[in-house]
Amino acid sequence: MLKTQGLGYWYQDKAQPLFQDINLEFDVGQSYAILGHSGTGKTTFLSLIAGLDKPKAGDILLDDRSLNQIGLTNYRRHEVSIVFQAYNLFTYMSPLNNLLTAMAITGTEHAGDKAFALKTLNDLGIGADLATRNVQHLSGGQQQRVAIARTMAGDAQLVVADEPTGNLDEDNTQAVIEQFQRIAHDRQKCVIIVTHEPDVAAQCDHQYRLENKQFTKLS
Amino acid sequence: MNFFKRAWLNVWAKKGRSVLLILVSSAILMFVLAGLLIRSAAVKATAQAKADVGATVTLSANRQAAFKQMQNSSSSSSKSSRPKMTLTPVKLSDAAKIASLDNISSYNVTSSTSVNAKSYDTVATSSGLSGGGSGGPGGMKSSTSTGDTQIDGVTSTSLATAFSSKQSKITKGRGITTADKNTNHVVIEKDLASQNKLTVGDTITVKETAGSKDKVKLKIVGIYKASATSSSSAGPMSTDPANTMYTSYTLANTFKGSKYAGTADSVTFNVSNPAKISSVKAAGKKLINTSKYALSTDDSSYQTVKAAMSNVASFANKIVWLVAIAGTIILALIVILMIRERRFEIGVLLSLGEARWKIVAQFFTEMLMVIVVAVAIAGAGGQFVGNQLGSQLVSQSTTTTQTTSVTGQHGGSGTPGGGMKGGNGGPSNLGQNAGSKTAKTDLDVSVSAVNLAELGGFGLAITFLSIMIASGGILRLEPKKVLIS
Ligand SMILES: Nc1ncnc2c1ncn2[C@@H]1O[C@H](COP(=O)(O)OP(=O)(O)OP(=O)(O)O)[C@@H](O)[C@H]1O
Ligand SMILES: [Mg+2]
Repeated sequence: MLKTQGLGYWYQDKAQPLFQDINLEFDVGQSYAILGHSGTGKTTFLSLIAGLDKPKAGDILLDDRSLNQIGLTNYRRHEVSIVFQAYNLFTYMSPLNNLLTAMAITGTEHAGDKAFALKTLNDLGIGADLATRNVQHLSGGQQQRVAIARTMAGDAQLVVADEPTGNLDEDNTQAVIEQFQRIAHDRQKCVIIVTHEPDVAAQCDHQYRLENKQFTKLS
Repeated sequence: MNFFKRAWLNVWAKKGRSVLLILVSSAILMFVLAGLLIRSAAVKATAQAKADVGATVTLSANRQAAFKQMQNSSSSSSKSSRPKMTLTPVKLSDAAKIASLDNISSYNVTSSTSVNAKSYDTVATSSGLSGGGSGGPGGMKSSTSTGDTQIDGVTSTSLATAFSSKQSKITKGRGITTADKNTNHVVIEKDLASQNKLTVGDTITVKETAGSKDKVKLKIVGIYKASATSSSSAGPMSTDPANTMYTSYTLANTFKGSKYAGTADSVTFNVSNPAKISSVKAAGKKLINTSKYALSTDDSSYQTVKAAMSNVASFANKIVWLVAIAGTIILALIVILMIRERRFEIGVLLSLGEARWKIVAQFFTEMLMVIVVAVAIAGAGGQFVGNQLGSQLVSQSTTTTQTTSVTGQHGGSGTPGGGMKGGNGGPSNLGQNAGSKTAKTDLDVSVSAVNLAELGGFGLAITFLSIMIASGGILRLEPKKVLIS
């Protein structure tokens, strides 16, 4: 579904790329974990896949169409859903309005469907009571679940997450990772997670390590 | 429109910040409104001043032409020892023609002469100089010899400069009106009346100084009080101002002699729209024999008021623009700070694929909601600020106007060779007229629907500009840098 072709990226010095000549393939119905030491370029790689930045070398293809061809804004709106480590939500809204807003912007088939949004939140343990409070009054784990619910409510085939469990305790981490697995398996989406935690990575279907400018498949 | 809903949710959820923004915007808009109010009030006051102060066109003998003629005759034929300057009295038929022109609201016929007291005693001047001075230096000898009582023949006293400028006031009975035409009705001064124990209804006798030198009985219909200032303006060569009587111009003409019937010394036309004074003068000139008669204009009081008011208006204009520009800059800076603080939110919106212009539109909508409330608050508060500023400015501008008019008066009375027959006040009074009238000119500072609409326009423009300035930040913002750090 998603392919990188000879992908390379550097910040200042072309002679010192973070990674180069990366050829990977990601498929729907699968979850992928990306491990690696700090500063190796995991987040940078994810930002390219998420359409937040353009590659310096090579290309990224979605169903054999280049992201440039699709248009980055268009790609972000319709094809990819992103979960960050923090600051995922509109702080001045309730979880419900966060979902409705994202659904309206991306124009999903359920856009405007309040009951659908409430049910999606409820599936992730955000009951009607929590769903209508301001998100700032929710715990970090609850907020992360709202962000995942937002991803589930959309139509995007690709879900990318950068250390989505970085701020969470063990219980919440387990709950969140289970949701990502459900997104991949039940919703038949492609989930790519960058993480430091081997436990989290181990639960994904595939693991890659970014090392020496290359991605190595661990399993 | 989703950005509209987001804007509303944001303004509502962050009430504290919204209230602060409303207060800042209200303060800015209040100053804008104060400027707008003063400007529109100045425009109104100028229009009012036009009507109040007015301007005049005076038809009189062409003194310059007469003087030239006199010189010519003296050089060509030097047989007469002393050349005589002959002034042709103004014809009332000419005056009637001019009066029918557009923009002439009313006119006053002035015909002055003097008679000698018969049944009463004249008032001696306080300085001890008795009346009947035989014309000062530069004074022109008229065909009539000078009597001790000055007769000012007018169409109506209310139109006479001394009365319209409030220097003289009717205290008993009534003034001369058009109904007094062809009567022997007279209005005398209070001091003269009390000295001779005369009152309304009494009859006095005077003796003509010209022609048959008949004794004529006059009926007192009113008593007026001349103010102190008018005595000084009468000049050194006249009798005490208390010895001036007002009659219909027809009676003054009778005193002068039969050939003066249907004539006048001068006719003053009040111009309803002072801005049109030169076109009125041009039209009037076509109706008269300019070699014999001259039309002179006086709109100095109007010009003074206009200048003072346009000063206020241009000052208000500057306030409006300065405040608007300063306000735009302040709001733009606030919005820039707000955008920095909200970069995560903008990043999330961008990562969801929201169009950048819609993010700008959200910020604009938020500010618009704030501005709408601020306009309402400023509308209420601007009334107060405008009132304070308005009264301050008027007291300033009135002072300048009065200073100017005083100078104007000196110039007027200083003109040598002026008055026909001992100067009957004349144009010098007009200067004072301006002063007293302007003092009344008030700035009507009240908030109208037009002001509020203008204010709304300014609010909209300030909002739009400040968002445009600040949106450079939104448009340049990279979601990657915002969210991944
Ligand atoms: N905007 C930037 N300009 C220059 N260098 C950058 C920029 N962003 C990141 N880098 C550098 O690029 C390298 C990779 O950064 P990146 O954030 O992708 O690493 P990461 O693998 O996600 O690390 P971590 O595990 O700590 O999150 C780092 O050395 C970082 O200092
Ligand atoms: Mg990272």
